[in-house]
This record gives sequence, structure tokens and C-alpha cells, in this order.
Amino acid sequence: MNKAKPQSNLFSTVIWLILIALTVATFSIGEVGLSGKSTMLTLLAIAMIKSQMVANYLMALRQTRLLWRGIMFGYFVIVGGLIAIAYLMGQA
Amino acid sequence: MKYKSQAVAKLYFIAAIGLFLGQILFGLIMGLQYVVGDFLFPAIPFNVARMVHTNLLIVWLLFGFMGASYYLIPEESETELFSPKLAVITFWVFLAAGALTILGYLLVPYASLAKWTGNDLLNTMGREFLEQPLPTKVGIVAVALSWLFNITMTMLKGRKTAISLVLSLGMLGLAGFFLFSFYDPVNLVKDKYYWWWVVHLWVEGVWELILGAMLAFVLIKVTGVDREVVEKWLYVIITMTLVTGIIGTGHHYYWIGAPAYWQWWGSIFSALEPIPFFMMTVFAFNMVNKRRREHPNKAAVLWALGTSVMAFLGAGLWGFLHTLAPINYYAHGTQLTAAHGHLAFFGAYALVVLTMISYAMPILRGRAANPERAQIMEMWSFWLMTVSMFFITLFLTGAGIVQIWLQRISSTPMSFMAVQDQLSIFYWAREGAGVVFLIGLLLYISSFFVKGESHAFE
Amino acid sequence: MDAQSVKIGSADIAVTARADFQKNHQKDLPGDFALWIFIFAEMLVFGVLFVAYAFTRANNVALFNESQLTLSRTSGAINTLVLITSSYFVVRGVDAIKRGLSSQCAHWLTGALLLGGVFISIKIVEFHAKFAAGITMSSNAFYMFYLSLTFFHLMHVLMGMVILASIIVKARRGGYSAQNHTGVETGASFWHMVDFLWIILFPLIYIIR
Repeated sequence: MNKAKPQSNLFSTVIWLILIALTVATFSIGEVGLSGKSTMLTLLAIAMIKSQMVANYLMALRQTRLLWRGIMFGYFVIVGGLIAIAYLMGQA
Repeated sequence: MKYKSQAVAKLYFIAAIGLFLGQILFGLIMGLQYVVGDFLFPAIPFNVARMVHTNLLIVWLLFGFMGASYYLIPEESETELFSPKLAVITFWVFLAAGALTILGYLLVPYASLAKWTGNDLLNTMGREFLEQPLPTKVGIVAVALSWLFNITMTMLKGRKTAISLVLSLGMLGLAGFFLFSFYDPVNLVKDKYYWWWVVHLWVEGVWELILGAMLAFVLIKVTGVDREVVEKWLYVIITMTLVTGIIGTGHHYYWIGAPAYWQWWGSIFSALEPIPFFMMTVFAFNMVNKRRREHPNKAAVLWALGTSVMAFLGAGLWGFLHTLAPINYYAHGTQLTAAHGHLAFFGAYALVVLTMISYAMPILRGRAANPERAQIMEMWSFWLMTVSMFFITLFLTGAGIVQIWLQRISSTPMSFMAVQDQLSIFYWAREGAGVVFLIGLLLYISSFFVKGESHAFE
Repeated sequence: MDAQSVKIGSADIAVTARADFQKNHQKDLPGDFALWIFIFAEMLVFGVLFVAYAFTRANNVALFNESQLTLSRTSGAINTLVLITSSYFVVRGVDAIKRGLSSQCAHWLTGALLLGGVFISIKIVEFHAKFAAGITMSSNAFYMFYLSLTFFHLMHVLMGMVILASIIVKARRGGYSAQNHTGVETGASFWHMVDFLWIILFPLIYIIR
């Protein structure tokens, strides 16, 4: 554990920068005003990936038992999936 | 009994059980009036029986809460009660006020009672559960403040624990929200809106804090599990309770003229109200499984576990059944509500008071636990009362579903009274279960008089 | 007799040591388990709200798309960056206390707390503009969800800030150490939850159409 310490800061910094980049991407898509099925799915996927990154790397769930990681992952899949279904219903 | 002043709790517990018996008797009278409309008419009309039944429930539970806190707080604070004398005076004032009010309901026409007690000065009467005359309402506030004062002063001079903090928060909320019973605006929407601030925020808000604290106290005592563990659970449970319960008030605002967003807020948050109850069940069973001692009072453990399960079923599950706005559109104000009301009040509040009495009463009478035979009787009474109440709930649920169908969904809807006629079989069955409940209660009361070799203190 | 009790004693020690070993390598959730129950419950509340929003929108697509355009995407995006950065600060704070650096931990958490303040300020400006335009929860279904969800989330930011503040105070007093920092991890977990819920909320309410 101790040896990994300096590295862990670098790692979390990289995660932070990726999250920033993804946020900027989301915002840009909104500003350009893109819409439609694939845009919706892309934005939703980005949001779920970002949340999963926060849970896994910032919350440090990556080091915990499968059960807890499973609950988190399942949550994002179910919530994201239901939202996607609702949007697809709305567009049809 | 560790502190002499805890003895005042005994008075409160005895009164609570006495009033409980009264409540059940009036429940049986009313239950019969459902099917034999003129039973005891005109001596005790249905509306009076109903008022007495519900008011006695509230009053005996309050006696139970007060008794429980006068027992629990000195032990938690590790000091004598601030003023046992004040607690005794409060008891007699409350008992006298309660008895006079009930006699008023029974002997005087309600309108005359309102006139004599100054309802013209400040209009507060005539609303379900808040029927009490003005002097009684003022009395309730005075009693609650005296109770709160006594408990707070005791806590201030002694040890402060999570349990006593949560309990006193619950009491503060109980006293505070009751003040809305003095606010009776002419606008019917506003009237109902704030009426729920007493009714809902009591039973689905602050009372749950009292329930949580009492249950946690008994569990620590009978299982010997670490206080830190119990306290952590208690905090999480009450936070969830408040988050879901306070906003969950919205489930009463669907159809009374409040803004439409309450249909969302009320549905979502009240749908989550079962979660803290479920956590309470997990918590209780967890603590008992991890117990570090075998407490000789087996009956108290049974009552405690029973509370956690029946509270989840009655308050959690039966509440959830009709809490979502689209379902409630058809279900509100039917026998389904009555079913939920019965099991929730019994499971959450009646049982927690009985749990506390079961744990504390033997100690107040100078022994660690009652004789084996008395405990067996007590456990029988637990099962008789719990199972019969569950059947009352099932019959009323059946009645509610038929009522919703015939009166509200069917393409040729029937009138209210015509539907009531169709439900009589359910009402007869409910009355039968009610008689079994009374037998259970009588058995419970007689268990106090069983003689035998009791468990001494360790 | 003596030998036996010594034997029992050493067996006890062995059992405790094994329990400790298991505890350290089971990798349980960071922070207090009781709070995690709360976190899961909160996730459920927000999850239900998100899904309710999506399905209500499915029946009112035109209304939702039109109303959505009136929201300030810029302030939403800035707030996302603010929360993500504050989460990063919290990670650094936890890392600091794991190395026993109490005051560094307090500094990082104070940074996160200040960013929480920035979030709230931006939110207040945003709400003010909406209220000034006469928008309330009763305006339409979209605004009902927008105001409810963002306000409910804001309450969680506030609660997270209270938690962070109490941890900072304790950390300043040296109340945590490299061995004992469950409290810091507990507060951190709650803050990260507030962060990732906003990460879903922002695109859902402000952008996706």
C-alpha cells in the first residue's frame, strides 16, 4: 500500500482530468445542439461512464468486494438503461 | 431498577394498559355497529364510539411514551429524574383531563361540549383525531411541555447518549407539531393541509424517533450488544425516516386541492418510507443474533422482534399498497386505509409500548424477569393479539378491494351505503378477529397477576 | 490449570489475529457501513426520480425539449466541473490522512468545502433567474422535475458540506491518524455520491433531448 501512494495521486489526477474532458465534451454537444437517438445514447453513456469512474476510482470501490462493485455497476446499468428506454419510447 | 425515580413509569404503564382495554372495547362496539347499525343507539352512536376508540388509542400511546421515557431517560443519563414529583403531578393531570374528555364525548352532545368549552373563542374542534375540546388541547400541550422539561433537565445533568437525544428530539417534535391543532383556517384546503402536519408528521415522522429510541434501548438491554453499533443504526434509521417521512406528507396532498407536484413528491418519497422500517427489522434481528447474553426476559425479546416485523408490515408494506398517486386515486379513504391504520398503529406503536412495558415492568416490580408461567402467558397474548390484528387487517383489505371495485372502478358504480351492505361478511369476520384480540389482551393483563418463582437480578 | 489458561489465551490471540487479518483483506466499503446503507438508499431515491423524469418526458417530448432550452447549460456545466474538482480534492484529503498528514488533509477538504460553496452560489443565481422569470414547480411538468431534482440535490450538497466541515474541525485538532481515519473516508464517500448523482443529473436535465 505504502509504495503505491505517490502513484495513487498521479492516478487520481489523471482520472480527474478525464472527467473534466468528458464534461467539456458533454457541454459542447449541448451547445452545438445535437439531438437524436445516437447523440442521446452517447451522452447517456458518457454520464454513466463518468459516474462509474467516480465510484470506482475516487470512491475507491475498485478495491472492495465484488458485491459492492456489483451494486454500483448494476445501479448505473439499470438507471441508464431505463432512461434510454424512456427516451427511445419518446422518440418513436 | 437502577434509579428510584424510575418508579414513576409504573403509574403511566398501568394507565396505558387500562386505556388500551377501553380502546379495544369501543373498537368492538364500533365493529358491531358496522353490521348492526342501531346497536347501542342512541346511547353510543357510531361517531362517538369512533371518536372514543381513536382518542383512547392516542392517549394510551402517549401514556406509554411518557412512562417509557421516565423509565429510560434516568438509566441512559445515569442520574435520577429531575423531578419525580412533577412527573406524578403530570400523570394525574393528564389522566383526569383524559377521563373528563372521554366522559364529555359520551355524556354530552358534541355541539354542546363545543359550546361549553369555548370553541367559539378559538375554533379547533370537529376534526378527525383532533376532536378534543380546547381546554383538553391546552392541557395536552402543558403535559407535553412538562414531560419535555423534566426529561431535558434530567439529560442535561447526566450522560448524553444517542438514544436519549433521539427520544427527546421525537418528544420536541411531538409537542411542536401538536401546536398546529390550534390552527383551523376556514379554507378547507388549508385546514386539511395543516391538519396533516399534526397527524402525518406525528405518526410518520417524530413518533418514529420515539419508536426507534425505545426499541434501541430495549435491544441494548436484552442483547448486550455494543452501544456504538446500536447507535449507528439508530442514526441511519432516523435520518431515512425523516427524509422519506417529512416529504412523504405529500401522499395526503394528492386530491385535497394542494399543488399537483405533490403527486410526484408524495409518491416517490412515501414509496420509500418502508426502507427505514425494513432497516429496523434487519437491525432488530441482527442485534438479537449477535447477542452477548441470554436475558431471562424472553417475552421482551419476542415483543421487540414482533415490533420490528409488524411495523414493517403495517406501516411499510400496507402503506406502500396505496401510496402511489395513480393507485391512491381509487383507494383513498376506503377500508384499505382502515386496514393500514390498524396494522400500522398496532405494529409500530402499540407493540413498541408493550415491548417497553414487558421489559421494564418486571424490573419496576423488583425482579429481572417474570416467572416462567407469566412469560408463557405473555407470549401467548403476543401471538393472539398479533395474529388476530393481522386477520383484522386482511379482512379490511378484502373489504377495501371490493369497495374500490364496486364503488369506483366498476362501469356501473354503486353508492357508498349499497357497497357497505355488500361488505358485511368482511365486517363480521373482522369483528370475530376483534374478539380474539380482546381475549389476547385479557390474557396479557392476567399475566401480571401470575404468582411464581421469578428471576432475580444477576 | 495454568498451562491450560495460557493455551486458551494464546488460542484467543490467534483467533483475534485471524479476524484482524480478514478484516484488513476483505476490503469492505470505505468508511462506516451504516452510512453506506444510507448512500444506497439515497441512490435509490435519485434513481427513481431520474427514471420518473425520463418516462414523464416520453409523454411530453415537445414540452420538455422546449422548456429545457431555457435552462442555463453553462452554469450546469461549470457546476459539474466544480463538483468533480471538489471530489478530486477529497480524494487527495483522504490520501493525505492515510499518510498521517492531518493538516494537509484539512487543507484539501477545506478546498472541497469552498468549491461546495461555489456550487451553491451558482445554483442560487440560477434559481433566482428562474423565479424572476415567474417559473415555479407548478409551471409545467419539466420545471417541476427540474426544480425538484436540483433542489433536492442541493440539499445533499449542503449536508455534504456540513459533514466535510465537521471532519475538517476534527482533523485540525488531530482527531484522525494514518491508522484511524474511518470518519474521513465516510464523509468522502458521501461527497463522491453527491458528485456522481450530479454527473447523471446534469446531462439528463440540461442537455439530453
